[in-house]
Order: sequence, then C-alpha cells, then structure tokens
Amino acid sequence: MTDQVLLKISNIEVFHGTFQALWNLSLEVRRGEMLALIGANTSGKTTLMDTVSGLLHPAKGIMEFNGYDITCLDPYQIVELGITQVPEGRRIFPEMTVFDNLMIGSYCSCARKNRILNLGRVYELFPRLKERKKQVAKTLSGGEQQMLAIGRGLMADPKLMLIDEMSLGLAPIVIDEIFKALKKIQERGITILFVEQNVKRTLEEADRAYILENGRVALSGTSAELCEKDQVKKAYFGIDECAI
Amino acid sequence: MNDIITPIIMGIMLGGLYALIALGLSLLFGVMRLINLAHGDFVVLGSYLAYGIATYLGLDPILSLIIIVPVMFGLGFLIQKYIMSRAFAVSSDTPLIIAFGISLIIQNANQIAWTPLSRGLNTGYSHASFFLGSLQFPVIYLLDLIAGIVVMLLLREFLTRTYLGRAITAASQDKRAAELMGINAKRVYGYAFAIAMAFAGIGGVFLGMTFPFTPTSGISFLTIAFGTVIIGGLGSMWGTFLGGIILGLVQTLGGYFFGPASQMLIVYVIVLVILAIRPQGLFGR
Amino acid sequence: MISKIKNDFLIPATLVFIILALLPLIGAPRSWVLYVFLFFIYLAMANMWNLLAGYSGLISLCQPAFLGLAGYTMAIGTWVGVPWWIGIIGGAIIAALFALLISGAVFRLSGIYFAIGTLVVPEAIRMVFYLWKPVGGAMHGAGAGYMIKGIEGVSQHAIFWLAAVVGIGSVYLMRFIIKSKLGLGLASIRDNQRTAASIGVNVFRVKLYTFLISAFVTGVAGAIYYLNQGYIEPSATFNVRWTMVMLLATVIGGIRTEQGPIIGTIIVVILYFALARYAGYSFLIQGIILIVIMLLSPQGIMGIIKRLFSRKGVKN
Repeated sequence: MTDQVLLKISNIEVFHGTFQALWNLSLEVRRGEMLALIGANTSGKTTLMDTVSGLLHPAKGIMEFNGYDITCLDPYQIVELGITQVPEGRRIFPEMTVFDNLMIGSYCSCARKNRILNLGRVYELFPRLKERKKQVAKTLSGGEQQMLAIGRGLMADPKLMLIDEMSLGLAPIVIDEIFKALKKIQERGITILFVEQNVKRTLEEADRAYILENGRVALSGTSAELCEKDQVKKAYFGIDECAI
Repeated sequence: MNDIITPIIMGIMLGGLYALIALGLSLLFGVMRLINLAHGDFVVLGSYLAYGIATYLGLDPILSLIIIVPVMFGLGFLIQKYIMSRAFAVSSDTPLIIAFGISLIIQNANQIAWTPLSRGLNTGYSHASFFLGSLQFPVIYLLDLIAGIVVMLLLREFLTRTYLGRAITAASQDKRAAELMGINAKRVYGYAFAIAMAFAGIGGVFLGMTFPFTPTSGISFLTIAFGTVIIGGLGSMWGTFLGGIILGLVQTLGGYFFGPASQMLIVYVIVLVILAIRPQGLFGR
Repeated sequence: MISKIKNDFLIPATLVFIILALLPLIGAPRSWVLYVFLFFIYLAMANMWNLLAGYSGLISLCQPAFLGLAGYTMAIGTWVGVPWWIGIIGGAIIAALFALLISGAVFRLSGIYFAIGTLVVPEAIRMVFYLWKPVGGAMHGAGAGYMIKGIEGVSQHAIFWLAAVVGIGSVYLMRFIIKSKLGLGLASIRDNQRTAASIGVNVFRVKLYTFLISAFVTGVAGAIYYLNQGYIEPSATFNVRWTMVMLLATVIGGIRTEQGPIIGTIIVVILYFALARYAGYSFLIQGIILIVIMLLSPQGIMGIIKRLFSRKGVKN
C-alpha cells in the first residue's frame, strides 16, 4: 500500500559545508497522520525539515512526495507541490500586517485561487488573528505569532505541513491551544510532521514518532510503542512513567 | 525677505525629484542589501534615452516614458539574472566591483553615442513658469514634485496590494521565510532590479528636463540619490521623501548663500558629513 | 610547489624590471618608453589598491584624491618656487595627511558604505579645484589647470627612472609589509576581525597605517605622472578612471596576491597599447573584461595558475 505513504525519504545524506548532518536517513510520512521528530539539539531535525523544504539538497538519496521526485527541487517548487514549513522561531514578516503575512502564505499559484476560503478557515481556527488582522505582526504576542506562522502555512493549501520547534518560548496554556488547533488541521486531512522539545507531550499528541540521534534514526514507532521502550524512558523521562 | 522663500520652495519641489531618483537605490538596498554603484549611470542612461527619442522620433520626454520604462525594466531584469545573481554567489565584494564595471560601461557607451558634450531635454514647457503670489517658479520643478509623489504612491500601492509587491517586501524582511512561502527569491530579485532600473529611467527623464547632463554625471546623481537615502534612513519610503526635500533645500539654499557654482559641492560635503556622523541615516533606527 | 613560486618570483621580476628600466638607454622608441613608464606608475598604484582592497578589506574608491592632491601640491609648488622633487615628497605627505583627515570619518563606515563614502571624496575635491585657483598663472579652461613650471631642465629619462624606482619599490614594499608585524595584523583581521580585536590587534590602527601608506605611495606615483605630463587639471585628475586602472590591474592579476598586480598591470598596459586606436571604446572594453573576470575567475590569473598547479599536484 504505497498509496498510504505521502512522503518517502530514502537513504539521504546531507552536508553543511564539510560537516555531515544526516547519515543514510530514511523516513516515511503516512497520509493524514501526525508524526513527531524527537531528538537533541544537534540531532538533525531542523536539517531534515530544511532538506524536505528544498533549502538544502541531499548529496545522496531520494525523496518522493505524493508520487513526485522532489530531491532536487527548489523551495518554491516544493511549496507548489503541497509541502509547507512553519520554521523554527516562527519567522513571520515583522513589518507587515497580519493580513499581509497571511496573504503572502498564499503566494504560490496553486493556493491563490482558494485564498478566500483558506483565509476564512484560518480565521475560524484562530479567531484572534481575525481581530488583529490590521496589526503589524511584530506587535503580536509570542503565541499569536506562532498562530500567525501556522495560519500563514495553511494559506499555502498544503498536503503536508512541517512545523519546527513549535512551542519554543510559549506558555503551557498557549501550547494546549496550538495542539488543539493542530488536531483540527489534521481532521481536515492535512498531514503534520512536527518537532517539539517536550517529549512527553509529543508522545501524547503524535500518532507516531521518529527519534533522531546524531543525524541517524535511532528509533521509530507508534507513540505507544515508543513509550514502552526502556531507552526512551531513560533518556527522556528519567523515571519509569508514561502517560499512555 | 521674499528672496529666501524662492529657494525654499524650489528646494522642496526639487526634493520630489531627488526622492524619485533615490527610490530605486533604496528599493534594491532594502531587498538585496545591494547599494548599486551604477545607479547614477542608470539615471543618466534614462536621460540619454529620452534625448535620443526626442531627437529621432520627436517625442516629448514625458511621453517617451512609454518606451523608456519597459526598456529599462527589461535591461534591469537581464542584468540581475545574468550578472548580479552570479556576483552574489562569488563574494560579498563582487557585486560592488561589478556595479563599478557596469557604471563605466554605461558612461562610455553614452559617450560614444552622444559625445561628452553637455545635453538637456528641451520641450515647449522647458522655460514656462507659474506664479505663487508674486513669486515665479519653473513649471518643470512642479512636474518634478508631482512625478516624485505619483511614483512613490504607485510604489506603495504596488508593494502592499499585489502578490509580487508583497513578495518583494517579504523577501526584504526575511529571505529564508519568504522562500518557505513559495517565493522564488531569484525571480523576485530580478523584478526588484527591473523596477529599480525603471525608476532610474523615470528619474533620468525628469532630471534631464531639470538639469543639463553629461556621460559622467552619474556620480553626482548617485551621490544625490545616496545622500537622499541615508538622510531618510534606508528602506523607509517617507524618510526617502524627506531626505530628498532636505537635499533639495541644501542645494537651493547653498546656491542662494554661496553662489550657484558651489551648490553641488555643498551637497557633497553635507552627504559626507552625514555619512561620517550618522551612517544609519538621520531618521534611521 | 606553490610556495616555491611565491618565494622565487621577486628575483626574476626584478631582473625583468631592470631590463625594462634600461630601455631608454638602448634607444627604444619613445612610445615604448611611455608605455613602460605607465607600467611602473600603474604598478605602484595597483599595488597600493591591492594593499587596501585585498589585504585590508577596504574597497577604496578615493585613490584619485591622493594622486591628484599630490600632483597639485607639486604643480603649485613649482609656481611658488619649490623644486619639483621636494614637491613630490611634499605632495605625498599632503596625500597621507588628507588620508588621515578623512580616515576618522570613512573608517566608521563598513563595506559598501566605505566604498560610497570614498567615491564621493574625489568628486568633492574636483569641485573644489573647479572653484578655487590657489595661485595665479593658471592655464585657460575650467578651474585650476596648471603647467608644471621650471622643469625644462629635467630629462625625460630621469622622470622615467624615478617611475621605475617607485614601481619596483612598491613591489618590495608589499613584500616588506606582508612579512612585517603590520602584515600579521592584516592577516588576522582578514581571517576574523572580531577575533583579531580580541587577541589585541588594534584593527583601527592597522587599517589606518595601510591607508596612510597607500595614500603616500599613490601620491608619489601620481606626482611623478604629472611631472611627466607637464600639466595638471581637475577633471582628468580627480577622475574615476584612475580607480578603474588600479581595480582592473588588481582584479585581472588576482586580488590579495603579491604577484597579481604585476601580471594585471602588464595586461592593462598591453590593453592600452592595443586599444589606443579605439580610444573611445577602451573603457567600455575594460568594463566588460572586469565583469567577465570577476564572474569567471574572481581570483584572477593567479587564481587560474594556482588551480592548475594544485591540480597537477594532486595528479602527482
């Protein structure tokens, strides 16, 4: 059932100059799931996301998305095919209004025709953005900026959404709100691949997860499976407790 | 007392022109952190194109914009696509040196085509004037002000209302994030260069109607454009307008107090002083 | 392999220079002598530009101000009774003092700002000399144009050899600077300005010294050039085309290499010779060459040579 697989990464190797960041890494994202990437700071999570987005290109290996070979494509072509990234640190356009930020999200030609529909959906998901649509983006709070970044990503009408370091610097109550929004996005049929610092929380929310170590996949499986592994318990929880 | 009112009003009107020739420079800096050393020569190229069109086709300089704007736009796109985009990949100094080369090529081409003699764009209304109260002003200066305001408003509308304009703004604020939004940065840079060059062309036409020009005038116009931009602070449109007016006033009042021969020298000195004291601009952050 | 070439080039180069310097004695045609004269003048100026742009990271576009101020000092001096040879030294000192004067302002600027700031300087000085005639007896024409007075007795050969000394001297000066403490400071700044500052290199002072040396030597070369020309006037003197010569010679040969300006200056002079008939097109063609070299081989001819040798080295 290859049809189940939306993104298939096979044996990629990625370099930053002479430093090798990813080693023979393979990974599958299945249609409609919420998949998490877990790992320490230099484990290669962001590199992997940037490679999928086309900001970096693998020296070896293949990436297939929805039946297309995307290994050598540039970022704008990848957005066109339906992959959007919500980058680490949100990186909204600070001097533009909330509305303009969202409109930029629908820049690619595939998303322009549905922009009114998508804008309505984003406002429905994050009513606060609608209230502040005329506000300059840099004046938003951290949580609102993250909502804007996710909303901007949704405007591209994606099939797969990559979200990097989602809850960095956000209050727990805001994180709850954003996870709720992600569930709704997932219900609309959009596949989500996200990176999150809080491992416990991640395994509660995600369907499956990959654990990266030094640019390699160390473990993978459903959240429930991973919770049972001793390695995970030791490395990430410290004590033998698991929510699921 | 009325004497000094005349240079003040002239200076303000001239400010519109200076803002106009600075817009392209400011746009390019904002979008790709490039201060285009050849900008002044692009402006002069615009003046000469209008001169050529007036000479051979008999078209009024303002009407000739119909030809000049697309020609400059296309030329700008090609320069970015085939030269500048590669220059950025080599090293950070390369675009600077290449712009210097382009500047000399344009100077020389203008000289070959039009001789080193001083030229001007003469029209039926070149010497017309209008009255404010009892004071008399050249109509051309009023046209300069109007052109500056119109082009600035058009640019603002373009940058905030169209997809391409928003993409240019986005790329200037965060290139990486813009790419993640599906913006093809290379194409956006191409359009930004093309627009900057089209603006230089428009500026050149109005400048050519206001002042005489020679193939080597580019440096003066670059200095004026650069001065305007640093006074106003890079990337701020209203700052640019204000910067243009200040430089216009410096020039006309300098001419009023020290004689017309030294007015450009005073502009240069003011630009150098501001550069030395506040390189981030008088109104910059 | 590469280091060998580096160490050895001074001796053969000096021999070639000395043979060139003997040209007037063996009765070479006047035009040849003139081109060799230009070679020595341009060589000194290109070396000084390379010192700034290549080794100190200062893309200076105000070199015409230095050579022009020195030339004018010398020319004006001859009108008030100062001998020309004192004028040359005095002119170079004035150029260096002027560099000191503007350094406070332009050194606060980095990169592109420095380039633009320095670009405006010669323009402003040219304006000054359009408006200001320091002494009487100016030539006709716009602004302060002067004949160099009282040089009828000076032989053309003497001026030529003066240029040869300055040209060859500039090559040795570059070697001396690179091997000195100043060169060490420059190398550390080039690697990383912040680290250099943190380990006690006074970045400002190191850059200032190179700026002053460059202004002085460029001034000497400029004054000798105008001594040979016999007159000086503002529009050709404070002209961006001088900058083009230095830039082109350095870039063609290889910026930030010792040999680059030598190779580049040879090519520039040959180019002048070849293009003399198409004078109007000369700068057009130079501009195109500059762009092509910058895009295809940013390290110039030295870059190509190094690549060839390193490839051979790999094969062996």
